[in-house]
Amino acid sequence: MTSRVRKAASRAAFNLGIALTALRVNLMRSILTTLGVSIGVFAVVLAVAVGSGAQVSVMGAINSLGSNMAIVFPVPDDESGGAVAERGRLTMRDAVSIERQIEGVTAIAPQLRANVQIVSGGRNASTEAIGVTPGYAVVTNAATETGRFISDADVRTAGRTIVLGRTVVSKLFGDYDPIGETVRVNKVPFTVVGVLEAKGSNLGEDSDDVALVPISAARQRFTSDLPLGPDDLRVLFVGIEDGVNLGKVKREISRLLRDRYRVREGQGSPFIIRTTEEFMEESAMVTGIFQAVLVAIASISLLVGGIGIMNIMLVSVTERTREIGLRMALGAKRSDIRNQFLVEAAVLCMIGGAIGLLLAIGAAAVFQAQADFPVPIGVGTAIGAILFSAVVGLLFGGWPAIRASRLSPIEALRTE
Amino acid sequence: MTVPLVETLSLVKEYTVGGGIVHAIAGVSLAIARGEFVAIMGASGSGKSTFMNMIGCLDVPSSGDVRIDGTATSAMDSDALAELRNSKIGFVFQQFNLLPRTTALDNVAVPLIYAGVGRAERQERARKKLEAMGLGERLDHSPAKLSGGQQQRVAIARALVTEPLLLLADEPTGALDSQTSEEIMHLFQTLNDAGNTIILVTHEREIADHAARRITFRDGKVIEDAPVTDRRLVRA
Repeated sequence: MTSRVRKAASRAAFNLGIALTALRVNLMRSILTTLGVSIGVFAVVLAVAVGSGAQVSVMGAINSLGSNMAIVFPVPDDESGGAVAERGRLTMRDAVSIERQIEGVTAIAPQLRANVQIVSGGRNASTEAIGVTPGYAVVTNAATETGRFISDADVRTAGRTIVLGRTVVSKLFGDYDPIGETVRVNKVPFTVVGVLEAKGSNLGEDSDDVALVPISAARQRFTSDLPLGPDDLRVLFVGIEDGVNLGKVKREISRLLRDRYRVREGQGSPFIIRTTEEFMEESAMVTGIFQAVLVAIASISLLVGGIGIMNIMLVSVTERTREIGLRMALGAKRSDIRNQFLVEAAVLCMIGGAIGLLLAIGAAAVFQAQADFPVPIGVGTAIGAILFSAVVGLLFGGWPAIRASRLSPIEALRTE
Repeated sequence: MTVPLVETLSLVKEYTVGGGIVHAIAGVSLAIARGEFVAIMGASGSGKSTFMNMIGCLDVPSSGDVRIDGTATSAMDSDALAELRNSKIGFVFQQFNLLPRTTALDNVAVPLIYAGVGRAERQERARKKLEAMGLGERLDHSPAKLSGGQQQRVAIARALVTEPLLLLADEPTGALDSQTSEEIMHLFQTLNDAGNTIILVTHEREIADHAARRITFRDGKVIEDAPVTDRRLVRA
């Protein structure tokens, strides 16, 4: 048995030697043929990388919301139709009961949101003002770079304090530290008490283009024109402990709210609850489809490269018909001839694949530097690309190799 | 009675050409014993090469059988025939058929690869055969750097490297000048003296007369099969 293994290994090594010699002999042709596979692998690897980059970006965006949370918001009027108990609403009292009654909740972040104009000196910035409570910092992992966050006292007194995002600070103050400065938000003066740590941008959306004020102040100053009740929220973030089943928490919040609003069995809910887990799953699906489409398109170029390989292998078999006849006369079996050409095609494709991979790594680095968008090429992708190239070689080299192995020894030998 | 090394039984090879059937070999039965040196003669188209190809198991007969060392080959599949060629038959061709851009040593070692011999032993056996052919100084030369006679010696070394029972040579001097041809024929005679069975195909009477037995083909049939009476023995 071991001698058979040694025999097989010896023949495999020998086939590799023949393949490398044949490729070296026709170096220019080998390079040109390889180019097709290189371009194909280049395209596929980049497609995979861009797809993964999109995934990383989206996941990053979701993670920057905070770790585990559920987002609760009332169904907008026009979407609720007639099926719900009453117009969708969500109040501060609902938020408090969620925090008190549901297990696994770490903090709540009730919010009001409004687009505002902030002016300081001669400069101004349009941004989104979010009315928050201190719980917002806990739920969203927000921290201040300088100064402090919105406090309970701010919320209690509807204090005109404001915490600015990095982008807003840049627009209004440049490099100057704005703590203690007064800015006018929709003409109402607010005192800057803190600057948020930068979170960067995700998928073109700037997470730092934001201003936080006490929820009570937002209610008084910015949302008076909206059809909101005195206790209404636009959105509620519910922070949830790590390791807690998000689906279960979601069901419990839903049950609690349905009880509070006396929604009958079978009636649609006047609110929507989404968890970070769901966001993750959905985005994973969307980016997965995006990636699959990209890879499918890129694969076409690899297919073309593969056809090039098949073409050149057929030429190679025809050119070396006499050599095939000779090898058969000297004792080569059909499988030896077949394997010789298979190995040649696979090696050719793997070299092409390696070149394509290197090009893709280079292009990804340039792309990443220019576009500030992650284009990760993992070790798995790299190994996969090389193995996939070999498979392309075996697939497209298969027919020429089998053709070669089916030649009759004497007819092959007679070929001039 | 000992078993003949090569035996053909009512061997027929037909080709269909333009609707008609052409008999390249029309029923040949003969036997060749171990240690013989046989020349197969005939004009072009006489069937001598077809006969040789079937003895060498490169071509399959339309009917009849070839027995090598007592074993019938008609029922063998392509793998079994490949093994038989590898272990029992050595081929020498008119055009040498060496692999280009491959050293003499590696050329000679090729059959040993298909025999599953390990690399070190392959190199060693190939080197010994080349040395026996007087090419010990040319192991690393590629065919392009060797003369015709040297190339044919490399080819003979390759044919002998598996220690086959039978050496088949198809017009081995056809591409060589007369002096080199004599040298190669002398080499064959020496090999035959050492016990090798040799079957040689040629259309030249002078070359055939180096053998001990001459079989002449015409129209696919044996018309003469006799010992060479005035054998040309080359003295070194």
